Amino acid sequence: MRWETLVEHWPLLAEGAVNTLWLTAATVLVGFVIAFPVALARNARNRLPRSLAAGFVFVFRGAPLLALLFLIYYGAPEIPLIRETWAWTLFRDPIPCAAAALSLNSAGYLTEVIAGALRSVPHGEVEAGKSLGLTRLQVFRFVKLPNAVRAGIRNYGNELVFILKGTSVASLVTIMDVMSAANQIYFNTFDLWAPMLAAACLYLAFIGAITVTIRAVERRLRVPGH
Amino acid sequence: MTWSLFAWGDAGWGDELVRGLAVTLALAVLSFLGGVILGTLAGLAEMRLRYVGRVLSVYAAIMRALPELLVILTVFYGIGPLVRLGGQAIGIDGLGLSPFWAGTLAISLVIGSYVSEVAKGAIAAVPRGMGEAAFALGLPQRRVTRLIVLPLALRHAWPGLTNLWMVTIKVTPLVSAIQLEDFIRAAGTAGQNTKHYFLFFGAVMVVYLALSGASMIAQSRGEQRLFRHIGRPSP
Repeated sequence: MRWETLVEHWPLLAEGAVNTLWLTAATVLVGFVIAFPVALARNARNRLPRSLAAGFVFVFRGAPLLALLFLIYYGAPEIPLIRETWAWTLFRDPIPCAAAALSLNSAGYLTEVIAGALRSVPHGEVEAGKSLGLTRLQVFRFVKLPNAVRAGIRNYGNELVFILKGTSVASLVTIMDVMSAANQIYFNTFDLWAPMLAAACLYLAFIGAITVTIRAVERRLRVPGH
Repeated sequence: MTWSLFAWGDAGWGDELVRGLAVTLALAVLSFLGGVILGTLAGLAEMRLRYVGRVLSVYAAIMRALPELLVILTVFYGIGPLVRLGGQAIGIDGLGLSPFWAGTLAISLVIGSYVSEVAKGAIAAVPRGMGEAAFALGLPQRRVTRLIVLPLALRHAWPGLTNLWMVTIKVTPLVSAIQLEDFIRAAGTAGQNTKHYFLFFGAVMVVYLALSGASMIAQSRGEQRLFRHIGRPSP
């Protein structure tokens, strides 16, 4: 292991770190936008949306991330609906493909996190809200949501860590993330330990930041006296 | 879509895919068993040995935080050459880690780091009196652990372990990064040659979903069996 390797090649790692963070941010955003309505459907009173949402969870939680990524990245050009419309400008590029695969994959897990958090709100509190004359939307907004956020924040933090770790898979479709940068430095210098150790430290630092942030949010949300 | 693409022999890709699937399944089973053994030992050590236990729990926490792909690449490119050098030092040439065994070792280490958490919780959930009773009957400590505590802990560990089995299945495709001809790589080769990527990767998805569905059924069957003495599904 040589430190000079890192001194010489750090810009590549920096580029990788930026891409890893971008990919994580995009996945967190899109994953949530997908998962929230599916979680509502998962808890619906009607059977049809409930089983559709269960199917969504089964498919995207059961399939490996890499299989999903390859299906989208290599398979998308074969779908006429994608090949011949504006979607092609998006799916031609590996980064949107990776973001799509990561988002769907994490939405599978996130749906259960959100649906579980919403279900954990005691029924009595919902009834109390109704008896005070709140509308269904108000009950959701002022009773269910705040309690669910409190109940689900820790699991959500775990999911964020899984998303960050998952982004490393994007290195297998030519995206220059931290993993890819470390790999490339290794192939250029034949020094394995310096880039891998640096990559490991970057991932640990990112995960540390996520954990600290989630803890702080958790503290802030805590009801005094509970 | 033509089913003939999945034909056996030279005409289709059926035999290549099945061979890849066999590699993937062997890898998953061996890595999971390795992970359970390593993780149970680590869990016991973390609970019973003061200094070694502390080192192990920090190590396991780091292992859980690192991306699986990074562990797989580091084991293959880093530990493989070390094994070769070690072999040469004691006079055995040609020793080394093949992609298959490097993948098995790497995934065992990752899964083991999760298993140690499950094992600690499950062992702690076994009532102390159980082990003490066996000890009072004259069983040596080691056999108390092996014959009384661990079998009882399995009940509490079952949901966590089956969950980790599904994690194992979903991690295995990453070994295609170290040139192992597993299921997904076989599908990739087939897709490259026929330009029917969507079909072959779609088939990969379906097979993985079937595996995960079968695992879910096995999970609830196993749970029913583990808790048949009290006639309820879970603790």
